[in-house]
Amino acid sequence: MTSVQVFLALIAALFLAPMAVGVLTGVDRRITARLQSRLGPPILQPFYDIGKLLGKEPMLANHWLAFCSFLYLAGAVTSVVLFFLQADLLLIFFVQAVGSVFLVIGALTVPSPYSQIGAHRELLQIIAYEPLLILVIVGIFLATGSFKIEAVYAMEQPLLFKLPLLFLVLGIALTIKLRKSPFDISASHHAHQEIVRGVYTEYSGPYLAIVEIAHWFEIVLILCLLSLFWSTGVVGLVLLLGITYFVEILVDNTTSRMTWRWMLGTAWITGITFSLINLLWLYYG
Amino acid sequence: MPDTLLFILVVVPFIAALGLYALRIESLRMVLVLATAVLLTGSSLALFSHETVAFSTTLLGVNPQPLIVLLDFVVLFIILAVGLSAKHRLIIYLAGAQIVLLAIFKLVSPAEATGQAMFLVDPLAKLMVFVVSVVGSVIILHALPYMKNHEEHLHLTTSRQPQFFAVMVLFLGAMNGLVLTNDLGNFYFFFEVTTLCSFLLIRHDLTDEAKANSLRALWINSLGGLALLIGLLWISLDLGTVNIQQILAQTPEAAFLLLPIGLLCFAGLTKAAQLPFQSWLLGAMVAPTPTSALLHSATMVKAGVYLFLRFSPAYSGTFFSTTVAFVGGFTFLAAAALAISQSNGKKILAYSTVSNLGLIIACAGIGTPAAIAAGMFLIMFHAVSKALIFLCVGTIEQRIASRDIEDMRGLYAIMPVTAIITVLGALTMILPPFGMLLGKWMAIEASAHNILLVIILALGSAITVLYWARWAGLFMSYPFKGRIYPESQPALTRLPLLGLIGGALLLSFYAPAIYNSLIYPAISVLPLALVDAVPATSWGILVLDRGSFPVIPLFLVAALGLFAAIYFYKLAGKVKPTGPYLSGAQTPDDPSAYAGPMRQSIVPSSSNYYLEKIFGEATINRWVNTAAIVLILLMLGGGL
Repeated sequence: MTSVQVFLALIAALFLAPMAVGVLTGVDRRITARLQSRLGPPILQPFYDIGKLLGKEPMLANHWLAFCSFLYLAGAVTSVVLFFLQADLLLIFFVQAVGSVFLVIGALTVPSPYSQIGAHRELLQIIAYEPLLILVIVGIFLATGSFKIEAVYAMEQPLLFKLPLLFLVLGIALTIKLRKSPFDISASHHAHQEIVRGVYTEYSGPYLAIVEIAHWFEIVLILCLLSLFWSTGVVGLVLLLGITYFVEILVDNTTSRMTWRWMLGTAWITGITFSLINLLWLYYG
Repeated sequence: MPDTLLFILVVVPFIAALGLYALRIESLRMVLVLATAVLLTGSSLALFSHETVAFSTTLLGVNPQPLIVLLDFVVLFIILAVGLSAKHRLIIYLAGAQIVLLAIFKLVSPAEATGQAMFLVDPLAKLMVFVVSVVGSVIILHALPYMKNHEEHLHLTTSRQPQFFAVMVLFLGAMNGLVLTNDLGNFYFFFEVTTLCSFLLIRHDLTDEAKANSLRALWINSLGGLALLIGLLWISLDLGTVNIQQILAQTPEAAFLLLPIGLLCFAGLTKAAQLPFQSWLLGAMVAPTPTSALLHSATMVKAGVYLFLRFSPAYSGTFFSTTVAFVGGFTFLAAAALAISQSNGKKILAYSTVSNLGLIIACAGIGTPAAIAAGMFLIMFHAVSKALIFLCVGTIEQRIASRDIEDMRGLYAIMPVTAIITVLGALTMILPPFGMLLGKWMAIEASAHNILLVIILALGSAITVLYWARWAGLFMSYPFKGRIYPESQPALTRLPLLGLIGGALLLSFYAPAIYNSLIYPAISVLPLALVDAVPATSWGILVLDRGSFPVIPLFLVAALGLFAAIYFYKLAGKVKPTGPYLSGAQTPDDPSAYAGPMRQSIVPSSSNYYLEKIFGEATINRWVNTAAIVLILLMLGGGL
């Protein structure tokens, strides 16, 4: 990469991509509202929300929450930057895990039952999706012969044709990461009474804003991973992302939240079976 | 000069052990332990300035071979005596069989074959000597104040510290000998000395539980010793040599030798406490914590994985090698799963060790240069981080009188310095840019062609994150109450902790340099059957043919993120404190309590998920042990 390209990649990773995801979440809320026969908030509502949170008086139940919220953001931003710099996929995944771990550690620092239970459920979510993401990355390696993103862009055919089942597996991970039904177990995007907001409960005011922004970066990363499956043309890429995200919204609105036992079982059994089949095709095909 | 270094590394600890045992004066003990620690550390570092050389039969001009033969029988007869006095049939049979076989071996093996090139200093040996001598010394120093406290707590009339420190120091000498020797017969001797040392250390407190657990450790490790001896006898009869380098040079052609190599590996499995032999290491947790730290990081279990790495060229590229990868990978996953269900801090650490050693064995099984490099990285980083966390848990245990992690909730309020060091230590086990993760990354990338194995590693890797993150978060959980002051500790408690965490961070930072100067020279000369492109480094970036890991750039980013986070943590100090969210029912005077029925003030509590029903020992032990036995049979069968 030339230095100009690096500069452009940094701008895209740090500003454009999270902005786009902010808008996307706004659209998500609109479509969800329409599906539920409501009008829904303005498209830019997520930005207003963040602005409002940033203006609140900071209050904390434990100082380490401030520390952890920033490291969550740092981990998420670094992984997105690494993606735009076309680094090693497995490495990007591990850097992304730094953020997730600090989100959980922060929630664990407050002795409130909501945040403690939320944190443990978040950990269960992590062990549900992490192996799946690693297997998707291994699939990409088997298809391209490298863990580096540039190898994907060197492909002549979209990866989707070689990795259809792994694309579905990534869909499971995406649903968990987006905190959507039936996997919104640790922190539903609607604050369900039983868990309040789980792992998010104790992050408040400006610190919650930081956590929300970090979550946008995490969504950027997962969407970037999805985009790798159609790396050959912009039209196909946009279509693939649009359809996938719309399906996510539909699933979110037509399923109910399940227990973590069900989540772990489903994610592992379905995800690993699908991955295994797809990886075997690649290896012997 | 290297001759002198070898003498210091291997023989001086034996002499120091005699001194520590004989001179029962506390101040002298301090001086002796300190002197040994300094000598060992200095010599192990000095060893790095020497090129790879094979040394002659003599040590400072003396041929130690007859002495080693004598001591070998002494060790075996001690084990036999232990078995007789405890009326433990298995130990009696195992020791008896070894005595007979050893006598046969000494009679039939040609004299000149045992003589040549007694010691070999190569990069792998240097790495191991560093781990044993430096990490081991730090642990022994930390043990000085620890054992004093320990005995005060037990109200002993006569101190047992002379025995304790003698065995600890002896252990280091035996380990140094084990990794430096190039003679498989001597390897067996040092192997047995470590078995005996671990037995003595585990039974140190002389409680019924300690005695029972030490006997279990003894018979399991004797089983490994017997396997090792049979393998040794077989190899010496077939090849007419016990020179390890000569064996490695011959084995690719002599495929029939895989079975004796398999027996050596079996010995490695028992020593490294791999499934289904993990029970002795978990039982060893009754010993004083410095013992656990030593067994888990610098000695004993590392001898097992060292054996796998040392002999990896002998089985590289065979079906046996593939099964070794599965045996290790399976233990990595199963032990991690078992760790989830534990609330006893030391047991979590024990399962984590078993799990990580499994990963190292899997690396030896994958057997490509990148995988062997990953295994070497993992040995080094695991030693430092695990020693650190064990010493932290020992320090904490002496303060709060519990090793249950639920009792460590809010430890930051009581022991802020130790708590932060422990959390950092836990993070070095799972997160980039630290060394353990670098090793895991290399291992996964190197194994990516083996679909089943990579699935196992992916699952194990995720589970590992769960139990470490849970523990790290728990330390920082405390209700907001006033200022927190750093705790005071003896210098010999604080300095080892600071030294180890500093070491873990620095070694991770210098991982690319360590790779260039130590690991690359080691793997580039290995006669491996499977070859992937050997990784290279530039600008602090480790580059495989499949991917890259920018160690130093990531370190800079991490430092930036950390400084920002610390800055905002400091700012948050001025923020208005509130209690946890309690559905709006908080009591006005205590923000951490809510008003319950009858206006009672109730402080809510919650505990970790341990998922006993899914991952509990009672639930899965039988299954995973059976599966492990099946895999080991498959492995040994692969050698046929």
